[in-house]
Amino acid sequence: MPSMSLFLSQLFNGLATGLLLALISTGLTIIYGTLGVINFAHGALFVVGGYAGYTVYGLTDSFVLAVAGGSAVALACGLVMERGLMRKYYSRPPEDQILVTFGISIILVEIVRGLYGGVSLSVTPPEWGQGVARLGTLIYPLYRLETLGIAAATLLLLYFVLYRTSLGLIVRAGIEDAQMVNALGINVKRTFLLVFGIGAMAAGFAGVINSPIVALTPDMGFRYLVDSFVVVVIGGVGSFPGAIIGGIIAGEILSLTSMINPQYSDVMLFIAMALVLIFRPQGLMGQEGRE
Amino acid sequence: MKDKKTLGQAMQTQVKRRSVLKAGAAGVAGGMLLPGTARVALADDKKPLGAWPAGAEGDSVFVGLTVDLTGPYSAQGAEQKNGYELAAEQINAGAPQVQKISPLLKKGILGKKLVLGSADAETKPNTGVQAATRFIHDNKAMMIAGSTSSAVAIALQKVCNREHTPYFTAISGSNETTGVDCQRYGFRLCYFAYMACKAIAPVVAKELGKDRKAAYLTPDYTYGHTTTQSMKEFTEKEGWKTVTNQVHPLGAKDYSSYLINIANTDADVLVVVAYGADAANAIKQAKQFGLLDKMKIVIPYMSAYLEKEVGADVMQGVYAAQGFWWTMEDHNPVAKDFVEAYEKKYGSKPRDSAMYAYLALVLWADAVERAKSFYPVDVVKALEAGELRDSPVGKVTFRADDHQGIVDFPILRGKKPADMKNPEDFFEVVQVVSGKDVLPPVGLLGCKMGDYV
Amino acid sequence: MRRKLPEMLVGLGLLAAPFVLPALGMSPDLLTRILIWGLFGLGFDLLFGYTGLLSFGQAAFYGTGGFVTAYLLTDGVVPNMLVALVIGTVAAAVMGLVIGYLTLRRTGIYFAMSTLAFGEMFYFMENSVFKDYTGGENGIAGVPPPELSLGFIDIHISSGWPMYWFVAVIFFLGYLIARRIVRSPFGAVLKAIRGNPKRATALGHSIQTYKLIVFVVAAAYGGLAGGLLGLFQSYMPPDAFALDTSAQLVIQTVMGGAGTLLGPLLGATIWLYLYEGLQQVGNLGPYWKLILGVVFVILVTVFRHGVAGALISLFRRRRSLPADIDDTASTRVAGSLDIVPPLSTTRPGAPVLEARGVSKHYGGLKANSDIDFTLREGELHGVIGPNGAGKSTFFAMLAGELPTTTGKVFFRGQEITGIGVTSVCQLGMSKSYQINQLFEHLTVRQNVMIPVLARLRGRFRGDLLSNLHSEHLDSQVNAAIALVELTHHADTQVSEMSYGEKRRLEIGLALATGANVLLFDEPLAGLGPEERVMVVALLKSIRQGRSMVIVEHDMDAMFELAERITVLYEGRKLAEGTPDEIRRDPSVQAAYLGGMDDESA
Repeated sequence: MPSMSLFLSQLFNGLATGLLLALISTGLTIIYGTLGVINFAHGALFVVGGYAGYTVYGLTDSFVLAVAGGSAVALACGLVMERGLMRKYYSRPPEDQILVTFGISIILVEIVRGLYGGVSLSVTPPEWGQGVARLGTLIYPLYRLETLGIAAATLLLLYFVLYRTSLGLIVRAGIEDAQMVNALGINVKRTFLLVFGIGAMAAGFAGVINSPIVALTPDMGFRYLVDSFVVVVIGGVGSFPGAIIGGIIAGEILSLTSMINPQYSDVMLFIAMALVLIFRPQGLMGQEGRE
Repeated sequence: MKDKKTLGQAMQTQVKRRSVLKAGAAGVAGGMLLPGTARVALADDKKPLGAWPAGAEGDSVFVGLTVDLTGPYSAQGAEQKNGYELAAEQINAGAPQVQKISPLLKKGILGKKLVLGSADAETKPNTGVQAATRFIHDNKAMMIAGSTSSAVAIALQKVCNREHTPYFTAISGSNETTGVDCQRYGFRLCYFAYMACKAIAPVVAKELGKDRKAAYLTPDYTYGHTTTQSMKEFTEKEGWKTVTNQVHPLGAKDYSSYLINIANTDADVLVVVAYGADAANAIKQAKQFGLLDKMKIVIPYMSAYLEKEVGADVMQGVYAAQGFWWTMEDHNPVAKDFVEAYEKKYGSKPRDSAMYAYLALVLWADAVERAKSFYPVDVVKALEAGELRDSPVGKVTFRADDHQGIVDFPILRGKKPADMKNPEDFFEVVQVVSGKDVLPPVGLLGCKMGDYV
Repeated sequence: MRRKLPEMLVGLGLLAAPFVLPALGMSPDLLTRILIWGLFGLGFDLLFGYTGLLSFGQAAFYGTGGFVTAYLLTDGVVPNMLVALVIGTVAAAVMGLVIGYLTLRRTGIYFAMSTLAFGEMFYFMENSVFKDYTGGENGIAGVPPPELSLGFIDIHISSGWPMYWFVAVIFFLGYLIARRIVRSPFGAVLKAIRGNPKRATALGHSIQTYKLIVFVVAAAYGGLAGGLLGLFQSYMPPDAFALDTSAQLVIQTVMGGAGTLLGPLLGATIWLYLYEGLQQVGNLGPYWKLILGVVFVILVTVFRHGVAGALISLFRRRRSLPADIDDTASTRVAGSLDIVPPLSTTRPGAPVLEARGVSKHYGGLKANSDIDFTLREGELHGVIGPNGAGKSTFFAMLAGELPTTTGKVFFRGQEITGIGVTSVCQLGMSKSYQINQLFEHLTVRQNVMIPVLARLRGRFRGDLLSNLHSEHLDSQVNAAIALVELTHHADTQVSEMSYGEKRRLEIGLALATGANVLLFDEPLAGLGPEERVMVVALLKSIRQGRSMVIVEHDMDAMFELAERITVLYEGRKLAEGTPDEIRRDPSVQAAYLGGMDDESA
């Protein structure tokens, strides 16, 4: 029987990892929620951001610049993807979109492997993130605590942009009825480009933020892609607050399962996902009927 | 080395021979139309086996490499490919370096040029099997080599056994490869979990003390479980206590929950069983959780490049077993040759993956020379003969009963960054373990060899 | 003979392949592997290409069939290879039933995600719970080479060309069966489900059952393919269960062309050829995968319907064939379109359709309040009301589509409140929609076939292998088409017709169900003046033997057609009576027409 302090520690850890997962998943949910495109290159963009951040970090020794650099590169990739390819796919069935983004993910991952090799790369946390913090009996890495804050702040910022600005309004109107928005004289194409870019940037941003915790490998993206699906499904496809809730739940599932039967932590995520899909497919916070 | 070929040409040449052999759908058996059959038939009444004798015709022989060029072990796979290619180059040239290992080798093998072909196994058993089958059926491979994951190695071993083609693992840590899953045509040169644990346990008991409390981080697959089991067995014999065993899914990225569980115990040694990036992540995160302030790390079976991945800072004081470390060149001329040649050709120091690859190819070539033929049964028997050969890790041979390599290997300790004489000088070789001493007794791991034919 | 053309071509192709393809560098092993994927894909194409259900979890069945077969053969439990294959296939089908039942409750992306989740769960179980049977991450090696014991002779199928022939025969049989399914009544319903599941349901088909059966069929094909893989390699790999396998199936099918049955085979050929070939080219090293990715993206972008799709449209354009024409249909026209006989429980003079105190509340919004409504035998009853009056909601409740908040709806004395459109349709009532609900990618004939099939076969029949066409079916279909004057467009694809023609088809579909009670939701919506006249005349002409309710905005038409009119206003019944009574009713004028002004058209 795990002790109370251990239980509380894991509960807290689940929250922290959960928010990080939520951050990682926002890119996916933004693009799917707005454009209806399931971006299978989400994991790859995460990787691209992480590696770009690593390079910038190596050149400038500034973590902040690394974050900016990684996000910028991911943003650029997203913009190129949308302009070059995804635009042609909006009128095509969803499986085509899945396939082309999947193909793009292969390309991105192999380019990264070609440039950086297969040996995993380590990013040291920035100075303000080194060391540990003591939370009661729990010794917790300072950087992870800070990512809690970073994730929360970023999610808040994205929420603000989507729900409180005119750009966000256009984006959300575009979800409802792109034709109408177009008819109202708003350049929907540019909006979609921007949204795709923001979604990609969110993925890259998460990649850099995550890199001091998890070593960079070219193949790590796939796992995060699948986990993002779980988060988005549990929280609610297309729902932004849902991604947060879904992330936290996923994080808690992983943490708490590890106390009882750690081998099952991965499959527990899928069981949770399946249960949600069977009983409440729109997720905990999604809108019913939205597919 | 491979010539550049267009797609169609490349595939055509592989298959041309097949079209001659088997006239389309008729499926003519036995290759009666082969030139040279008569010669072979006269010498022996050996029936065709695997890709023999077709693959041994002509002036070159083909060896198929199933290495991980993409996927989580792509660094090891690339290294292995380098090792094989270096060996092939030296064998074909009749270089003095390979002659130090096998005096029988003059230009090529039995006068034939060695040609390599590689396929990306992607660390997936089926992909490896597909590639191996293609190499044997289409390219008439006389030998298949390469692996990092034991699952892939075992699958390849079984398939090559069915095809009567010798197979050499490069890296395979699981006990089962020369245990329950041993095969007549499978050979494992490298050391593995049982040997590593048996070797490292007394060393760490001596260096770290006899009443240690160990926490294990075990990846949830066969290799992980058998390694933990072996390590527990041998350390407990030395007086250590096993406090907790945290089993995590293979490929897990975040170890926080397991590390928190470990931190909640009074363990003072962290045994990292994970391989590759998993090990790097686990160790990195353990440091971030401050666990390394009170715990020492022991890595019973360390993957190549881990030191680069976690950095010398973290690696200092870590005890690990590995197949080879380049500073062994100081005491071993064959190692010196190998490290020099590898560094000259590839610009970096070789790790154990490359060494095992290189050595396996040379040992196979040596066996063929001794058998005076490529006939699979003769080659296998020659490998089982127990001939000792010099190598970068001292004298080596194979044990006939389970085809396990009797190889020495180093136990390493991470150097303090201040003590590093150059950027690659991560480790101090604490001891070079005698392979013979740490082999499991014959039959302990359940090996039952099959037939030759 | 022409309809057997694909089968003949495939048969010929399989026979010729060993003589032709090796010149391109394809070995028997590669061809056999391609055929196994092609077989796997046949089932998947039925599920995805024809029924529109994208599943990311087919690996679960591939692995199940494969491992059951491999286990039975290696452990000697079942020495007969064919029996072991059959058992493996059945096991996969059973799993398909279970998983299909759980996942098919949802559609679209939710369905896809849940199949993914279940696929991953199977992978996990294979590596943990069932490790003793599956060999865990090592898989099952030593699967004995296939052997056919035909009593008097034992055929050993060795690797190489003999294995190719063995698999080719099985693939061909699988293909023949798939072709039959596609061209059966069952197959026609599948295509309808893909095109417009809502309408297919409303036309009387129990689409959930159809979906479940095709899911099971796809699982069976997957299980058979998995079993063959183990025999082919003498090794059953654990990655058979991996997400990668499911993904590869989807990739190959879409790249090759979904909905063609041969798309997966073609896609497998391209994908595997590139996979192997790129690795053999020069010094690419790990970059082979990068090039594969680029080629793949190009192929998917350029070929909108996959490579097979491109080939087929090329073929069609050359011979100027517009669409997927069914030339096996008979052209005989029935004397009259069948009408479902009324239920025997009807009392003479009793209302045919009745709503009693029907209300629909959505939270605080009262869409309909306490409406009574009666339709008599043979009557043509109109419903009018300004926008927002609650007509559509009321109509949906009348049609049994929507459950009421309070109140009940009766059809010939039988309560049908919210029992669902499929049951209602089978009872003999059908609705025609305000916004066209057609099967856009099918021809007119194929559209009209759907309701007729429901009438002739009931809500479900598992006639996967029957012939689609029969005199009776075709003559009924032709009668319905003739009734709405679309005979000269019978083989035109719906998406290419004008709006007016589509509107007529919309009515035609409702008629073809054989309903004796018809509900028309704004049948004249969006029509020009000439077409209006035509449709009004049509509505008049079909009254014989049928009772009808029409919702309309076109007052002239309504007053011309209806015997009785009910007026709804703000969710309540405002007035009811003959057209004249309604025209003169002051409250109606006030509500609808805005006062004493003249009526607007």
